[in-house]
Amino acid sequence: MTTAIVILVLLAGAYVVAVLEGWATNGRLRPAGPALDAVALLGRESVVTRSSDRIFFEVGPVLLLISALLAAAVLPLSPGLVVTDLATGALFVNMALAFVMVALVMAGWGPDGVYAMVGGWRFLGQLVGYSMLIVMPLTAVAMRAESLFTIRIVESQGALWNVIFQPLGFVLFFLAALAVCFLPPFDLPTAPGELAGGVMAEYTGARLAIMRLARMVLVVTLAVTVTVFYLGGWIGPVLPPWAWTLGKSLLVAAVMLFAGRYVPRIREEHFLQWFWKFGIPLALVNILYVGIVLLVVDK
Amino acid sequence: MISGARQAEPNWFHRMVARAMARRLNAFVVPGPDVARALGLDIEAAGLQVVDTPRHASVLLLVGELPEGLREAAAVAYAQMPRPRAVFATGTADVSPLPEPDVSVALDQASLATGIQELRRAFAEGAFAPEIEDFEAAVVQEDEEDEEEMDHGHMHHDHGGEGQEEESEEDQEDEPEEEESGEKEIGEDQLENFMSMIEMTEGMPASGDGLIMEWVPAPYGPLFPGLPGGLSLTFTLDGDTVAGTEVEPGIEGHIPVEILHGPVASIAERAAKLDPLTPVVYRWLACRAVEDASGAQISDEEALSRVGALERERAASHLGWAASFGFLIGDGSLSQRAAWLQLALLQVTNIDEVGLIKDEVEDFVRKALRTPFLGSKLGGIGTPEDGPEDAAGPVARAAGSEKDSRSEDPTYRNLGFYPIVRDGNDALARFRLRLEEIAQSLDLVLGAGAIASTDSPAGEASSGTGTSTVETPRGTATLDVTLEDGKVISAELDAPSTRNARLVEGVTVSREVADALVGVGSLDLSPWEMSR
Amino acid sequence: MSALQQYAVLLGMVVGVVGFVLSVYGIARSLGKTRKEPGKDVPATSGKLSRDPVWARYHARYYGYALLFLAFDMEMAYMYPWAVVYRELGLKALLDMGVFLTILYLGLLYGWSQGAFRRQR
Repeated sequence: MTTAIVILVLLAGAYVVAVLEGWATNGRLRPAGPALDAVALLGRESVVTRSSDRIFFEVGPVLLLISALLAAAVLPLSPGLVVTDLATGALFVNMALAFVMVALVMAGWGPDGVYAMVGGWRFLGQLVGYSMLIVMPLTAVAMRAESLFTIRIVESQGALWNVIFQPLGFVLFFLAALAVCFLPPFDLPTAPGELAGGVMAEYTGARLAIMRLARMVLVVTLAVTVTVFYLGGWIGPVLPPWAWTLGKSLLVAAVMLFAGRYVPRIREEHFLQWFWKFGIPLALVNILYVGIVLLVVDK
Repeated sequence: MISGARQAEPNWFHRMVARAMARRLNAFVVPGPDVARALGLDIEAAGLQVVDTPRHASVLLLVGELPEGLREAAAVAYAQMPRPRAVFATGTADVSPLPEPDVSVALDQASLATGIQELRRAFAEGAFAPEIEDFEAAVVQEDEEDEEEMDHGHMHHDHGGEGQEEESEEDQEDEPEEEESGEKEIGEDQLENFMSMIEMTEGMPASGDGLIMEWVPAPYGPLFPGLPGGLSLTFTLDGDTVAGTEVEPGIEGHIPVEILHGPVASIAERAAKLDPLTPVVYRWLACRAVEDASGAQISDEEALSRVGALERERAASHLGWAASFGFLIGDGSLSQRAAWLQLALLQVTNIDEVGLIKDEVEDFVRKALRTPFLGSKLGGIGTPEDGPEDAAGPVARAAGSEKDSRSEDPTYRNLGFYPIVRDGNDALARFRLRLEEIAQSLDLVLGAGAIASTDSPAGEASSGTGTSTVETPRGTATLDVTLEDGKVISAELDAPSTRNARLVEGVTVSREVADALVGVGSLDLSPWEMSR
Repeated sequence: MSALQQYAVLLGMVVGVVGFVLSVYGIARSLGKTRKEPGKDVPATSGKLSRDPVWARYHARYYGYALLFLAFDMEMAYMYPWAVVYRELGLKALLDMGVFLTILYLGLLYGWSQGAFRRQR
C-alpha cells in the first residue's frame, strides 16, 4: 500500500516536473503537454538501430528508471510514508544513484551511433567528478544523525535544518544532484547543441517515452533527496508532513530546472577540474567542520 | 492520409493517439532554425516544437528553396524519422527525392500558422493507414562502394555490413559474440601474436598522450542543430577529441554566382538569392558594382537609406548568430531572447519602430555580456593556430585588426562610424564584439534615418567593368562585374565565409568536440556564401 | 519488517518496473510494428548516412581522475560506519579519521602536482 502511494506520488511529481521542464525550455506553460507527448510517443515507431548491442540498448532506459525508483524507495515522504526504511538508507541512495551512470553508458554504447557513444562516455567522466560530492556531504549528514536511517536523518534536523547547519555541504550536494540528473549546465551526455541529443538521440517511440519518464523520476528523486537530507524533510508547521515534503521537493526541482537556463553548459574539462580541485577539498573541510561543531557545540 | 503514415487498420485507439500526435507536432527544420529565423519565421510561436534530431521529430519542416545537397540530406533525415511522419514545406517548390509535401505553404508567418492547422488535421485523420509505401529514395539505399570506402581505420569489419537489416532481431542480440569473433579473425593471421596490443595498433596514428586508440568519423552537418544550417563538417574523433576536420565547401547545388548574369535592372533580385541569411547585403553589393561600372552617382538620401538597411540587417544577423550560438553553448535564455529580438527587428517596417526596439536590444546586450561563466566557457577557445591574417569581419576585428571596409565609406564617416576592435582572437572576444556591434548598428540605423532597401541600381545600364566592396555581417565581400549592353556577362564574388572557413581546421583539431564546435560557431560561417 | 522483507519489497519494485515497461511496450506494439525501410535503422547523424560502426577503443581522456577516483571511492566505504558512531567515540574518531583523510588528501595533492587533474592530450 505504502509502496503504491509513494510510487503514485513520484509519478505525479514526475509529471509536474515534466510540465516545469517544458516551461523552462520553451517558456510556455502547457499542463497537458507531457500527457499528450506520452500518448503520441506510444503511437510512434520505436526504431532499433542496425547492429546495435540489443541488450544494452534495451536495458539502458529501464535501468535508469529502476535506479531512480530504488533511490526514492528509502526516502520518507512523511514519518510513516516510506517504502523500505533500510538501516543503510543513506548508503543505499548512493548505491542506487551509481546505476544512473551504468544506465547511461549502456544507452550510449547500445545503438552504435557516434553522438550517443560520446555522450555515454562523457557521463562516465561526469560520474568521476560528481560522485564524491554525493558521498562526502552525505557522510557529514550521517555524522549529525548518528544513523543512516533516512527517517532518523530527518528527525536530526528538528532543531536546525542541515541547509543552515552545514551550508557548504548543501551547496556541494545540490551541484552534484544537478549533475546526477544531467540537467543544464551539466547536461553533457545529452547536450542538444553538441551531440544532438547524445544518449537519448537514438531512442524513439515507446523507448523514448520510458527514457524521458525515467529522467523525470530521477529529477524528482534527487529533489526529494535534497529535501530529506538538507531541508528538514517533512518538518514544518501547520500543513501535514507529506505536504511539506512535496512542497519543498517541488521547489527544489523547480530551482534545479531553471538554474541552468542562465549559464552556458560547463566544459567537461572544467567540470572535472573544478569538482576535484575545489569540490572535494571543500567536502573534506565540510566533514571536518561538522565533526568539530558536533564535538564542541552539540555535546 | 499523410505521406509517412504508419501501417494499421485504424481503430479507436489509433484515432485517439493520432489526435494526441496532431496536438504535439515536433519539427526537424531543414536547413535549420537559423535560416527559418533569418527568413522571418517563428516556428515555435506558430505551434511547432523544434527538436534536435530527426529521431524525435514527426514533421520535417522545409524552409525556403533547398539546393540539391540539402534536399538529399533532408531525405536521409526523413528516412530516419519514425513513422508517422509528414513533410511540411514553406516556400519550397522542388522537394525531390522527398515525397510530395503533405502541406505546402508560402514562406511567411501567417501561412506557416495556417499550414500547421492543416497539418494537424492531416495528422489526426491520416497518421495511420492500412496501405502505405516504403520511402526508398536513392540516397538512403545501400551502396556497396561507399561501404568499402568508408570502412577505413576499423578493426571490426563484420558489423554494419550489407544484408544486416535482413537479419531478425534474435540475430542482433548475438552481436557481442560477433564482435569477438571479428577480433579473432585478425588474430588468425598472426596466431603467435594473438591479441597483442603492439600488433593490433601497428601503423595506427597515436594521440597526443601516446595512446593508440581507434578513430571514428563523425558527421557534423549539414543538418546539425548546433551549427549553421547547411554547414557540413566531418570530424575524425579520437575519443571525444577532434583529430581531423574536413569542411565541405558550401552547399551542393546552391545557386552559383553566375545567377547574376543577365539584365541589370533585376540584378538585385537575383543577388538576394545568393545568401538567404543576408539578402540585403547582396542586393547592395550587386547594385554598387553595377553603378561603379556605369559611373552612376546615387543621392545622399539613397546612400543613407542603404546604410540603414544594411545596418539593420547586420544587427539582425548578429542577433541570429547570438541565438544559434546561445543554443550551441547551452544558454537557453540568451538563445531565446536573441531569437525573439531578431524576429522583431526583421519585422520592423519604419525607423520609429527601430527606436522602440533599441532599448530592449541594449538591455539584452548588457545582460548577455554579463552572463556568468562566459569567460571559462569561451576564453581561449576558437583561436586559430596560424593567426588571423586570412580572417574577415568580426573574426578579424576580434583579433585586434581594424579591417572594416565601412571605414572608407564617406556615408559611414559622416555618421561617425568607427570600427569596434577587440583583442583576444578567441570565441569570447568574438562574442563580445558582435554584441557590441549590434548596439552600434542600431545607432547607425537611427543616424541614417531610413531602412528602405535597394531595389535596382541607379543610372543607365551600359558596358564596362565595376567593383564593389561591402562589409557584410561576416566580413568584407567584393564583387567584380562586367557589363555589356545592359547585361551582366561575368561576375566574380569574394565572400568572407570562404576565407573564414579556412580557419575551421585550426580551431577544431586537437580540441574536445564541444570546444571545437564553439570555435566553429564563433566564426559565424554562412555555408551559402562559401564557394564550391 | 525484517531486512530480508525490505529487500524483497525492493526486488518486487524492480520486477514491477520491468513489468510496467513491458506492458507499455506491449501497448505501443498493439498500435503496429516498426516498418523496415532503407536508412531507418542507421543512427541519425545530421543528414548524412553514416553506416560505419563506431564501436572502438574509446580514448577516455579523464583517466587521471578515474585512477584517483578509485582510491577515494574505496575510502568512502569506511566513512559511512565511521560517521554513524562518530559522536559516540568523540575526539578519538575525529583524530583517527583525520589521520586517514590527511594521508588521502596528500595523495590528492600529489596527483594534482603530477598533473592528474587535467585532460590528457
